[in-house]
Amino acid sequence: MENEEDESIEETTTDNDEGEEIAEFDGEEISREVVVPGEVLTEDTKNFLPGRGTILNKDRTKIISLNIGLKQINKNYINVIPLKGFYTPRAGDKVIALVTDKNPVKYRLDINAKDEGILKPKNTVKRNRTRGFRGGGSDSAAPSTDKYQIGDILIVKVLSADRLNQPELTTVGQYLGKRRDGIVISINPPKIPRVIGRNGSMIKMLKNLTKSNIFVTQNGRIWLKGENIAYERLLIDAIKKIEREAHTVGLTDRISEYIDNEKKIRGIN
Amino acid sequence: MPLIIKDEYPEKLFREDGKRLDGRDKHELRPIKMEVGVLKNADGSAYLEWGNNKIFCAVYGPRDVHPHYLAKPDKGILRVFYRMATFSVFDRKRPAPGRREKEISMVLGDCLEPLLFLELYPGNSFEVFINVMDADGGTRCACVTAAALALADAGVPMRSLVTAVAVGKIDGELVTDLSGIEDKAGDADLPCAITWFNEEISLLQFDGSMDLKEFDEVLTLAKNALIKIHEIQLNTLKNKYIAIQEEYSGGENKK
Repeated sequence: MENEEDESIEETTTDNDEGEEIAEFDGEEISREVVVPGEVLTEDTKNFLPGRGTILNKDRTKIISLNIGLKQINKNYINVIPLKGFYTPRAGDKVIALVTDKNPVKYRLDINAKDEGILKPKNTVKRNRTRGFRGGGSDSAAPSTDKYQIGDILIVKVLSADRLNQPELTTVGQYLGKRRDGIVISINPPKIPRVIGRNGSMIKMLKNLTKSNIFVTQNGRIWLKGENIAYERLLIDAIKKIEREAHTVGLTDRISEYIDNEKKIRGIN
Repeated sequence: MPLIIKDEYPEKLFREDGKRLDGRDKHELRPIKMEVGVLKNADGSAYLEWGNNKIFCAVYGPRDVHPHYLAKPDKGILRVFYRMATFSVFDRKRPAPGRREKEISMVLGDCLEPLLFLELYPGNSFEVFINVMDADGGTRCACVTAAALALADAGVPMRSLVTAVAVGKIDGELVTDLSGIEDKAGDADLPCAITWFNEEISLLQFDGSMDLKEFDEVLTLAKNALIKIHEIQLNTLKNKYIAIQEEYSGGENKK
């Protein structure tokens, strides 16, 4: 029997999920200076400290960049915001996953990270009773892996993740669970904060202009569902444009203009 | 009927006007053209034209190691696959990897490894696939240069780039950037690579004869050439993004 209560997800706003990430990318203080690996960011190591994406050289006289990215100075930290890279799971992230394998004990999920995620059946059902209660409930059997099939698209939360072990996932929580409709597209994970925009400005604009539901996740996958296929196509084109121009200035206004123009050209309103 | 090409080399490797056979000066590089992000399905990629050499390079990773027994529990591994296309040289190159390709793959791997933070990716691998489409001397140097670009394009954290060039001795004179014929008929051939975060030599192979004084001299020549090539590498990586910036900023943010 299908469990309806936690699968009828309300597609409401999701922009408050990724509050901390936004400030890193969409700040006014970011210089639009592109740096490459090995480039010296500063030789003034007394006043500046190496932040994200940077490292001190061996004799601690220079701060050098590790990634191809944008140089950013935040107080006395020098950061490099990468323009390209891969997703590293962190506890608490909500990600879109694809069931690739299952056995009676666990599911394996592709979460676009270097390791496959593990979803145990105990993390797919809500625990109603307190632990240790022996009331002899009728459904006291251990949960099995019958709930999802190979090929299903799930929205999951990362419970634990580190460098050595496979990340553990859960489908219990708000917005989490199986998606039955919509389209999932994939972009480069470091560009995700730009699709969300500062305080969710970009995603709100996209939702209003294309009358669509969007769910953006940190692993570079975006779930979307519009009123009809024309809106969905327009939205995908707009997101691809954001990905390409993520490091330019005044992106939100430009995308808004682009969508208005494209609506006229494509004859949708 | 098989095409027979006589394996004869010219007696002199310098023309009468003192230039080399392809019209270069002693320390002039062949024309270099680089491009990044050329292969759609790779995580990072680069295309390099260095004289007549044409090289594609693709990078994937971090990802699972196959076969699994190669994985190391305490650090990631870097695997390099150097392959030559069958049509890349005069005689048909047999497509199976031979002794030479396995050796160069290993040498390139050792050359690139100090750049990466492999200890951050235990049990995973980075894979670099290099395909030589057209070969004309100094392919291993060109491959190092292209692989560094592709790794940076993939967004892999790196300490710096690495650049390589071949220097050597032909007809008793020290020259920079040997072409195919100079490589075979010359007196000495010395490919070398520098990692820029510590300016240390990461690849040094030597074939031929040269005295110690010349050896020192030729390394200085290599350094000068490497600085020029490194500059092209940096500009190639940056231009991919700066071109898009300038398209929209109207030149106000020009750096």
